[in-house]
Amino acid sequence: MTGIPQHHFAGLSACILHRSDDAIRQVAERCDRLGIRAIGSSSGFGADGASVADMIILDIDTGHDGAFPWAVAEAPVPVVGLIGSESPGRLGWALGQQVDAFLPMSALGNLFSALVIAHATFERRSAMARERAEVAHMRAGRLDVVRAVIALMADGGDEALALKQLRTMAMVGQTTLEGAARAVLADGPADRARDA
Amino acid sequence: MSYKLGLIFSTTGSYAALGRSALAGAMGAIDRIAQRGGVRIEPVIRDPGGDPSAYEAQTAELLDAGVRNIVGAITSWSRKDMIPILERKGGLLWYPCPYEGFECNDHVVYLGAAPNHHVVPAIDWIAAQGMTRAYLVGSNYVWGWETLRLARDRLQACGIEVVGERYVPLGSTAYHHLVDEIIATDPDCVVNSLIGPSSTGFVQALGARDPGRGARPGHLVSFNQTEADLAELGRHADNLLSAGSFFAEDAGPDLAAVARRHAPNKEVSCFLATAHAAVELFAAAVARAGTDAPHAVFDAVTDAPVETAIGLVGIDPVLRHAALTPRLALARDGKFRVIARAECAVPADPYLSRQSAPPIERRPGLRIVR
Repeated sequence: MTGIPQHHFAGLSACILHRSDDAIRQVAERCDRLGIRAIGSSSGFGADGASVADMIILDIDTGHDGAFPWAVAEAPVPVVGLIGSESPGRLGWALGQQVDAFLPMSALGNLFSALVIAHATFERRSAMARERAEVAHMRAGRLDVVRAVIALMADGGDEALALKQLRTMAMVGQTTLEGAARAVLADGPADRARDA
Repeated sequence: MSYKLGLIFSTTGSYAALGRSALAGAMGAIDRIAQRGGVRIEPVIRDPGGDPSAYEAQTAELLDAGVRNIVGAITSWSRKDMIPILERKGGLLWYPCPYEGFECNDHVVYLGAAPNHHVVPAIDWIAAQGMTRAYLVGSNYVWGWETLRLARDRLQACGIEVVGERYVPLGSTAYHHLVDEIIATDPDCVVNSLIGPSSTGFVQALGARDPGRGARPGHLVSFNQTEADLAELGRHADNLLSAGSFFAEDAGPDLAAVARRHAPNKEVSCFLATAHAAVELFAAAVARAGTDAPHAVFDAVTDAPVETAIGLVGIDPVLRHAALTPRLALARDGKFRVIARAECAVPADPYLSRQSAPPIERRPGLRIVR
């Protein structure tokens, strides 16, 4: 990777979740120096805590799945995990949540690095999730492709010609093969004949 | 009661001139504080000779011998090599040099200019002169990489074209191909983040090949050129623009006397002045805290600003950086003349998170075609 990752955080907001007010103060001070507006809470998310923050900095010693208004490992913003006790169970929980970057409480001076890593990891994680959803969507359309090929073969060609015809439709319609197949099946034989 | 203070400066090797200047400032401050009847400071001096690996070993040696505070390091490379030892052994480094930012270590007090003190005002000045094309050259390590990356971002934000960007190995004198390229591309200014013999030789070679350049103010731009080694550049440094937190012109009689007595070239430089201020800050903090224990000393130095040779210096307790007064200066006949000076001390912004967009409104690059 040769590009410069996102490293300007001025104007963004961070939700700091920690059991200790002193820890919140320390993290908030560092956020302030980076131009980040910090919202601290020692009692979990408020009603709108997650929706207003651009990133989350949380205490992994006290975190639990029910603390977040989203499914496990599906945080909608970058998450930095503050390491306190280093107990394997807590680290395991944070890994299960797919926390984007870790920062020991003894190294708060490196918050900037943790934020850069968290934002880059989150971006990569989001891209992978989009890719997975796309692949799943394509897989779900396989049967439609088979059905569309069979439907097109009714016009007199063999399966190779029908598949080629379907690819052409996808290209012209600027859609996926699966999308073109669904369109063919939705049209029905009469419409295909008319479209042709 | 006296307190040990480590002074680790390369007074031999490729950037010895900077180390000698800084050591002179620190020793002068120790003398002056003793004369005033202040805290007694026992200097423990080491010379790594410009060898990066020696910094680590000498830092460990001093901390093992009971030294808890060190003023020193010139290059970022050496500072970054010292930090793991400072962390392991609980020492505190008072770093008196300009650097590239993006650092905030719990075992360092940053007293030199941060990028908002040097890169930002220098590039904004270039833009204000109406320059449109810049060439960037730096030593191939973190100072060169990061200062030029920041310069490139700022130049481009100002609408200035970067016509070339090249790096040479630390200490290398293989810069003649860069001189050829600069002559061929004819930029309005060359931003120079080379250090040591690379910088000296490059400036001389460029000046010799294209003597007309020297007539243009700001044809060369530096973020760390000081009087410590300005004379080595000779007349080719004329009209070089340097951005820094102190120039000799601002020195009071006491600092000038320190330079005459301790500096080999008798000149006040930013390195000399800031190292002097570092010792003054250390002494004030030790006096306030009653101990040289690093945590207590740091808390004490952040309690209130300290009057030093470079003015009143306050340290941010979170970012651990000094607020400094940035200046721009043009070189002429071996001296710097300050042409712009901030009205007051500016807090360091090592992550450049508080910078506004460049204030320069660029004119469209149009001309009348007949």
